[in-house]
Amino acid sequence: MTVTLDKVAKSFGATRVLHELDLAAEPGEFVVLLGASGSGKTTALRMIAGLETTSSGTITIAGRDVTNVLPKNRDVAMVFQSYALYPHKTVAENIGYPLMIRGLPRAERDKQIKDVADQVELGPYLDRYPRQLSGGQRQRVALARAMVRRPAVFLMDEPLSNLDAKLRGHMRAELKHMQHGLGITTIYVTHDQVEAMTLAHRVALLEGGKLQQLAAPKEIYNDPANLFVARFIGSPPMNLLHGRLDAGTFLLGDRRIGTASHGTSADAVLGVRPEDCRVTEPATGTLMAEVYATELIGDHTLVTAKLSADMLTLKAGKDFDAPVGTSLGIAIAPERTYLFDGPTGLRLR
Amino acid sequence: MSVFESRRLGRMAPAAAVIIYGLLGAWTLAVIFPIYWLVVTSIKVRLDVTGGPFYLPFIDFTPSGHAWHYIFYDLGNDTFRPYYNSIIVACFSTLVVMIIGTGASYALARLSFKPRLFSVVLFIFSVIGALLMVAAAGLDWRIAVAVALAIFALLAWALRRVPSPTLANADILFWLISQRIFPPVVAAIPIYVMFQRIGLLDTHAGLILAYVTVNLPIVIWLMYDFFVSIPRDLDESAELDGASKFRVFWDIVLPLARPGLVATSLLVFIFAWNEYLLALFLSTANAQTIPILVSAQNGTRGPEWEYMSVLILIMILPVIVLTLLLQRFIAKGLLLGAVKG
Repeated sequence: MTVTLDKVAKSFGATRVLHELDLAAEPGEFVVLLGASGSGKTTALRMIAGLETTSSGTITIAGRDVTNVLPKNRDVAMVFQSYALYPHKTVAENIGYPLMIRGLPRAERDKQIKDVADQVELGPYLDRYPRQLSGGQRQRVALARAMVRRPAVFLMDEPLSNLDAKLRGHMRAELKHMQHGLGITTIYVTHDQVEAMTLAHRVALLEGGKLQQLAAPKEIYNDPANLFVARFIGSPPMNLLHGRLDAGTFLLGDRRIGTASHGTSADAVLGVRPEDCRVTEPATGTLMAEVYATELIGDHTLVTAKLSADMLTLKAGKDFDAPVGTSLGIAIAPERTYLFDGPTGLRLR
Repeated sequence: MSVFESRRLGRMAPAAAVIIYGLLGAWTLAVIFPIYWLVVTSIKVRLDVTGGPFYLPFIDFTPSGHAWHYIFYDLGNDTFRPYYNSIIVACFSTLVVMIIGTGASYALARLSFKPRLFSVVLFIFSVIGALLMVAAAGLDWRIAVAVALAIFALLAWALRRVPSPTLANADILFWLISQRIFPPVVAAIPIYVMFQRIGLLDTHAGLILAYVTVNLPIVIWLMYDFFVSIPRDLDESAELDGASKFRVFWDIVLPLARPGLVATSLLVFIFAWNEYLLALFLSTANAQTIPILVSAQNGTRGPEWEYMSVLILIMILPVIVLTLLLQRFIAKGLLLGAVKG
């Protein structure tokens, strides 16, 4: 089902936590709200769930205006960061609670509980209590409880953040597979860009209560709308060099870097991703630098190089090794650079 | 060193064991002895009670069942009626105060109230106005209350735009607890006069009402802590699962607060069961409770300890049984596994 937010805003007293947010999730789409804490992403999700009132704007689910509808009448299911399992109920009772409330006969209920439990591999644990389960199992109970009703929309609030790194990777894949299979529109909140990039059809990046960019993961990585997005997405983050833009040529000290732009700006920022830089001989590089630190990651080496003013990180081959202080040249592909206006952070094209 | 500190993990050092078990044993004796003394006193004749101290039946003195016979046969209904009164008053006042108190404390734990100070002051003036109407104008109290409430509602609505500081849940909670700062005896005489006027003196309903009033702050205060400790995520999750507010409370919150419910009810039950002062004021014959009967044994012939002992024994029996029955519900760790891993 479609979910649309039309100029939805939220203020707590004088504090604006969410500026007018426009967002539309297509049927079956997986939309991730990504942002640091305090960016307004959880508030947005809670407003879709109905756990928070809107200060202004309209929320519709499947074409129905639900802005002032009680949570229970919105046909949404939510997975909480804390899982919010009912500790005094068994796994089966937890999963079956939404069905019990809807007054489904016992036999039918048990069948559906069994079906969903098998899907998330909880079959043998139906009679246990949440306290007897591991973190990953509890997480799956929360998922099963959301799935069992076949809601119009799934809402997930950092569902993987309480799991350890290995389990998180596994559950991420499970979640993606499950969502694809069920085809239920999902809105997912996270602060983890890896989760966002791997799970989402589209990522909505929020900061300071404002939507920074709404785009597919590939586009948000390759075509950041502004300096904030460029800085937030990518690990290690994009290199940002501070200089001047003169009729399409970026001036960094005495170095000149050709760009695709034709603009002019006294305070410009040139962004280039670590994988788009190459180590060359000092004489032939676009930039001159010296080695500040090298870190062997495994399949590549991360080199931090010191320019005159900025630092620059680049990915070199796994065999690269040079002592600290070695002079080197850095080659930058001009077509792989991004230009931003310094004061506003907006992209210069 | 090794006398006080064990060399093995999970073992108690000898000296530590002696001290700990010694202290526990001494405390146990201190607690058990008064009950033992009640039991032996209840089977003494008057001479052995006053002549003593005699500690051991058959050795120090010859036991006699005369006090038990007196309480159960000679007094008969004069024992059973107060006993029945106590059961009715304690059970119903506990039931009522728990229903009102849990509702109020859940509301305080989950909703945020912002009463305007101005409206509160207005309400106090309305109460004073009602009193004046009754005292000075000689109005019927029912009419006075209705008029005062109507005036209050009207003024509060008409003056709702008057700027005023607002209070919050913490203020309400403090105000409720402050009801217990002064002892109930302060209110005993006003309550007596009021009950006389509305015909509640010496009735079960009167005593129940009085105990509910006195116990309500305690229930709200204790249950508030239990409700606050239940994660709000559980309420919200149940709400999204389709439950109404009432079902959230009934299906999720109440079962999780069960240890608190049991402990709090036990506490207020014991209070109502043992209460003496208000019962003395508010009951004369029909609604008299057991504590009053016990003190009545301190009659013209001086304290009749053996009769009192019998009465006290049958009085503490239900409380002991109840505590033993309910203590397994007062278990901790029920919230384990609700949130996080």
